[in-house]
Amino acid sequence: MTVLQEAIRKRAAELLEAGEVVRVIAWGSGRFANQTSPLFVSAAADAEKIVFNDYCVNTLAKYALNEKVDGKIAVCVRGCDARAINRMIADNQMTRDEVYLLGVPCSGMKDRATDEVLPKCLTCTHRNPVVYDELLGEAVAEPAEEEVSGLRYSGIEAVEAMDREQRLEYFNEVFNSCIRCYACREVCPVCTCRECFVDQLRAGWQGKQNNLNENRFYNLIRVFHIGDRCIECGECARVCPMGLPLMELNRKWIKDLDELFAAGEEGLTDELDNTLGRYKTDDIEEFM
Amino acid sequence: MSVVNEAQTGVAAGTETFEPKILAFACHWCTYSGADLAGLNRMNYPANVRVLRVPCSGRVNPQYILTALNQGVDGVLVCGCHPGDCHYVSGNYYAKRRLMAFRRMLQYTGLEPERFQVRWISGSEAGKFRDTVTSVVEQIRAIGPYTPDPALAALIDKGTDAQNPILPESVAAGEGGDAS
Repeated sequence: MTVLQEAIRKRAAELLEAGEVVRVIAWGSGRFANQTSPLFVSAAADAEKIVFNDYCVNTLAKYALNEKVDGKIAVCVRGCDARAINRMIADNQMTRDEVYLLGVPCSGMKDRATDEVLPKCLTCTHRNPVVYDELLGEAVAEPAEEEVSGLRYSGIEAVEAMDREQRLEYFNEVFNSCIRCYACREVCPVCTCRECFVDQLRAGWQGKQNNLNENRFYNLIRVFHIGDRCIECGECARVCPMGLPLMELNRKWIKDLDELFAAGEEGLTDELDNTLGRYKTDDIEEFM
Repeated sequence: MSVVNEAQTGVAAGTETFEPKILAFACHWCTYSGADLAGLNRMNYPANVRVLRVPCSGRVNPQYILTALNQGVDGVLVCGCHPGDCHYVSGNYYAKRRLMAFRRMLQYTGLEPERFQVRWISGSEAGKFRDTVTSVVEQIRAIGPYTPDPALAALIDKGTDAQNPILPESVAAGEGGDAS
């Protein structure tokens, strides 16, 4: 970790010194030793503020969207960040030459409250970045597939096993708890619309009341909009102030698309190939 | 919920005489003609269905479906052309993928599968339109009225809020601030 931290600092300083990038996005220390926040470094002298430890929970890629306006930027990418960058390139939010990617292998981050590995990291399938300009440090071993695949769908399989009334009750509770702060939307590397449907007041898709109907509407449509492009970074569930199991909604969609249309994992390349944006004439038929 | 049903049917929801309200999205190029043909042939089908014409089944945004269910219909039926027959070549293929997934998601979150159904009905299948509508109405009559938000329904029953408007009237009329 310390070696990696030094490598990131060194390369960040070099890139800024040489003028190759105007800004480096990495992690900086927070108020406590086990807390970090995204850090935006614009001067080589500030590179030593960069930290990399077990608590770098933020996925940085979404910040690149706003930071790339005045020149090329460098972003530290782990598996999740790299897939998010791929996602945004596929969605025409940026081009590959607008970002310089510092690959950082990652073997999972810890929740600062419990000191246990974050749920999103437990189900991570790509610990090493899938795209980078240079890889810092040594690549770590990817998790065994059977180990992750069991965990990945364990949450939704438990819900699917309930009967309908129980599921209704379960999700009514989830949606009732939602305060519609839209943090899940803000943090999502897939949610890149300039104007979100919930903000289109005149169109009136989303009512302003906080009730079960509106919350269910928001959560289901959020999943509909991102489900087939979701890179499973798990940020939505991590940032949710109410601790709602948002990935159980996303993963249901991912699992269904996988079973029905062999969707596969998203964000591994920067080509746009989302499952609901294409079709096959011999797709499964169930509406006859 | 019950306010809407009473207004439409004149009976209280949940009783034996419950009459469901079904919204059918019908593709202009096939199902709408099919429904027209059913009328021309004097076929009888329940009057519980409200047919809403759309250019294509691919036009049916899942937001429409959720909004309809939230605002008082008991079931939604989406009808489009048979795969391969789409006037716009591929609209129904896209619709098929997204509605298949969306239907599973609704069921996953606890909706009865009967309340949201999709059927392909061509312009000549007047009989299939009649049979589909009849069977959907029968199924929904059997499972009863839909109450998406019991707490809100209780409020409406008390008369505190006659409707569940998507927007305050001032904003809907264009008087309010515009976010864009």
